[in-house]
Amino acid sequence: MNFSVMLQLLGNGMLMSISIFLLTLVFSLPLGMVVAFGRMSKNTIIRGIVKFYISVMRGTPLMLQLILVYFGPHFLFGVALSSNYRFIATIIGFSLNYAAYFAEIYRGGIESMPKGQYEAAEVLGFDKFQTFFKIILPQVVKRVLPAMTNETITLVKDTSLASAISMVELFDVASQIAASKSTIMPIMVAGLFYYVFNFIVAFIMEKIEKRLSYYK
Amino acid sequence: MKKFLGLLLAGAMVMGTLAGCSNDSSSAASGSDSSVAKKEGENFTVGFDAEFPPYGYMDDKGEYVGFDLDLAEEVCKRNGWNLVKQPIDWNSKDMELNSGTIDCIWNGFTIQGREDSYTWSVPYVDNSQVFVSKKDAGIATPADLAGKVVGVQKDSSALAALEEDAKDLAATFSDMIQYSDYNTAFMDLEAGAIDAVAMDIGVAAYQLNNRGDAYVIMEERLASEQYGIGFKKGNDALKDQVEKTLLEMVSDGTFTKIAEKYSDFGMTDSVCLGK
Repeated sequence: MNFSVMLQLLGNGMLMSISIFLLTLVFSLPLGMVVAFGRMSKNTIIRGIVKFYISVMRGTPLMLQLILVYFGPHFLFGVALSSNYRFIATIIGFSLNYAAYFAEIYRGGIESMPKGQYEAAEVLGFDKFQTFFKIILPQVVKRVLPAMTNETITLVKDTSLASAISMVELFDVASQIAASKSTIMPIMVAGLFYYVFNFIVAFIMEKIEKRLSYYK
Repeated sequence: MKKFLGLLLAGAMVMGTLAGCSNDSSSAASGSDSSVAKKEGENFTVGFDAEFPPYGYMDDKGEYVGFDLDLAEEVCKRNGWNLVKQPIDWNSKDMELNSGTIDCIWNGFTIQGREDSYTWSVPYVDNSQVFVSKKDAGIATPADLAGKVVGVQKDSSALAALEEDAKDLAATFSDMIQYSDYNTAFMDLEAGAIDAVAMDIGVAAYQLNNRGDAYVIMEERLASEQYGIGFKKGNDALKDQVEKTLLEMVSDGTFTKIAEKYSDFGMTDSVCLGK
């Protein structure tokens, strides 16, 4: 196998990793917001359920959650699975897990808003809905960005866990080439791929942070 | 509050529909009946460990090839099936097979010790488990392994042998380390962290072919066994179809021809059909 073929194969694996990454963000970012609201709900039952959800998602390995989401429908409910479900299960597993982490980051941001912001909004005649979306949320976004960058970068690397349910993503492709060529080199190259991708992610997040620091 | 509750419900519904879709597509794919014959034009999904050369691995062009996959390809061609090569995590092979995401495990799959767990085809390869070590380590007999660290693949038949029939030998090792793939075990051997790897002879031959002559395969075998194609327990209909085609391939010489493609790794010696 020459180097360019290897790069092309790793590139295909990278595409799979990137699609897991992007789809997970698409689902978990809004879902995290819903979970954060549930976590801050005044209703004790909702709050209790959401707290339990977060503690399970954070307290068990993502790899185990992926296996459960993928094989669970069959072994718990007897549904015959098709291989197409592999990708869907990966996205569900990642989204559920990351929503829990994002929710706690959002909550930290929302709860850090000074009470004065709400009082000022009330004086100005904003209703609850307007207060949250026009005054609180924009400030929360700015505050949580560094923590979100952290979590997003972790997500890029976590995509390699999808190989537990036989998703052929970047790391899996690298191991397969490594096995057929009896060398460790493809894994090193995969590392470079991850690094470059994360470098781009960090760069974009930094740009967004700069753009949002309009009061400084 | 109501709005939030609404959002929460909406979220739950989205997840529900997602799960729903997948369930629909899956129930259509393979019924829960355990014995299902395949018709022309259907998919035949082979589960294999893509890190198990020469039986299943990635070739120079990035295609999945190998002795077993080539056989599967020919079986599918003759039956008009659509071959789907599904690389699997070896640790999850039973879950994959039982949940119906793969139709069979065809990948240097040892029958001995697993007789009752699967519906097996006829054996097609005589395999041995061997020890591989560095040439200069001076490990020539099992007795030389006393006090050494030995690597083995998780849930492999080498491991089964070391845990049962060769239990006494394993007791002399200073440690036994389980790897999820042989390449990592070999890297550890090369780096000097372990002294020997217990593995299938075909895979050992492939590794030695790639890595040059710094390694040796021990004369004395750890265990002898046979490979078969493993189907979900009770799926005799599919097993019969595949086996019939496989035997046809043996009698018209195609089987031997495919084995010759992999003769560098000793396949022509180890096949037990068509001789």
